[in-house]
Amino acid sequence: MVRFHPDARFLTDYAAGSLPVSQALCVATHLHYCPGCRLRVGELTELGAELFMQQQPAAAVDGPSFEKLLTRIATRPAMGTPQAGATNDSKVSSLPRTLHKLAGANLEKVKWNKVGSKFRYASLNVGDRARETSLLDIKAGGSVPHHRHQGDEITVLLKGSFSDQEGKYVVGDFIVRTKGETHRPVASQDQDCLCLAALDAPIVMSNWLVRLGLRLLNRQKAA
Amino acid sequence: MLTGLLRTMDFDSDSQDTATLTDDRVQHWIACVQKVAEKQDNAAFRELFDHFSPMVKSFAWKVPSLDHPDTFAEELLQETMLKVWTKAASFDPKLASPSTWIFTIARNMRIDLLRKQARHVVNSVSLYQDDEDGELDLEDIWFEDENSDVFNLLAQQRSRRQIHESLKLLPAEQTEVLVKVYLEDKSHAEVAAELKLPLGTVKSRVRLALNKLKLVVDR
Repeated sequence: MVRFHPDARFLTDYAAGSLPVSQALCVATHLHYCPGCRLRVGELTELGAELFMQQQPAAAVDGPSFEKLLTRIATRPAMGTPQAGATNDSKVSSLPRTLHKLAGANLEKVKWNKVGSKFRYASLNVGDRARETSLLDIKAGGSVPHHRHQGDEITVLLKGSFSDQEGKYVVGDFIVRTKGETHRPVASQDQDCLCLAALDAPIVMSNWLVRLGLRLLNRQKAA
Repeated sequence: MLTGLLRTMDFDSDSQDTATLTDDRVQHWIACVQKVAEKQDNAAFRELFDHFSPMVKSFAWKVPSLDHPDTFAEELLQETMLKVWTKAASFDPKLASPSTWIFTIARNMRIDLLRKQARHVVNSVSLYQDDEDGELDLEDIWFEDENSDVFNLLAQQRSRRQIHESLKLLPAEQTEVLVKVYLEDKSHAEVAAELKLPLGTVKSRVRLALNKLKLVVDR
């Protein structure tokens, strides 16, 4: 049972379409697991539609604009049959559909970067240069090194479970850590843990995961 | 500034909106979309175009600091209405009213066009070439068939009427924030920066507004 949800701020910005795309990916992925939040987004989308229809309308749009549209419709390439493989429904997938194009239905498109024996990550290219969007894979019993957040971080749990000092998280949970908070997620002892994470990062491409990795390696060397 | 803002909201002229909300009108627009889907009916399409395109244009113009607002508005209109035509067959009146469906299409097309523009700007000033789209289809994130399983048309219509009635009663400062978030393409954080308010204040204004609209608040 999902216990941690995006707050009204995230759901409203998502329904309005103003949420940065990497965070929107996290919200949409959470929605896959959470009927309650789907219902809320449905209502918030109605609010959007109502505000949209209550706008002061622009002056009636003129004929040429409609004619142009009809020409485009008449001359557009014929619609082919839907692309084979466009839907992965027939295939058993372990991931929500929000991640299929980015990662493959079963992670087959993912290029992992291994850091130590129990942690690896893969960057996802969502075209959001202000944030790092990644998949994190923590082997059973492994952990992400203790870290302090330079920006806000959203994590959505996709598989397994993990805990930090705040408690235990299960699949579908949407976890927000804000700037300055420290935490150290630890995967359960008996299962691997897979997460989607979006981290606010300075535009300067300092890769926080590389930093994390270096710290982890140093720690291992020291041990 | 507030007066200017409120003028952009058409609260007083109820005629059109109330009409939009009555079942007859909704049924009429549903029929139009279906005629487009089944018969490629130009007359029905023209009706949809005449009714919705002024809203799409207004929606486009609200994006702040556009270089060419008119070009952008025409582009958004073309792309949105083209999609209405091509997707008419997948429109399901059991799941959404036509105005909600068209709003979600316009919203998604606007996100898409703004992303393309941002990429263009970055490319022209950046030393390194980056024409990456992201390996992403926006429809995988902002669904156009959203909430289908749990939020049926009946529930939508009910909450839509509720929203319609209660919006008029909101304090101006709450309406202002909702308008910025929904129509001006600004996240809570951007609204906070613009109004020089703490993020918490913006969040609580939205939350108070949602409360008054009897929409869900945090569990």
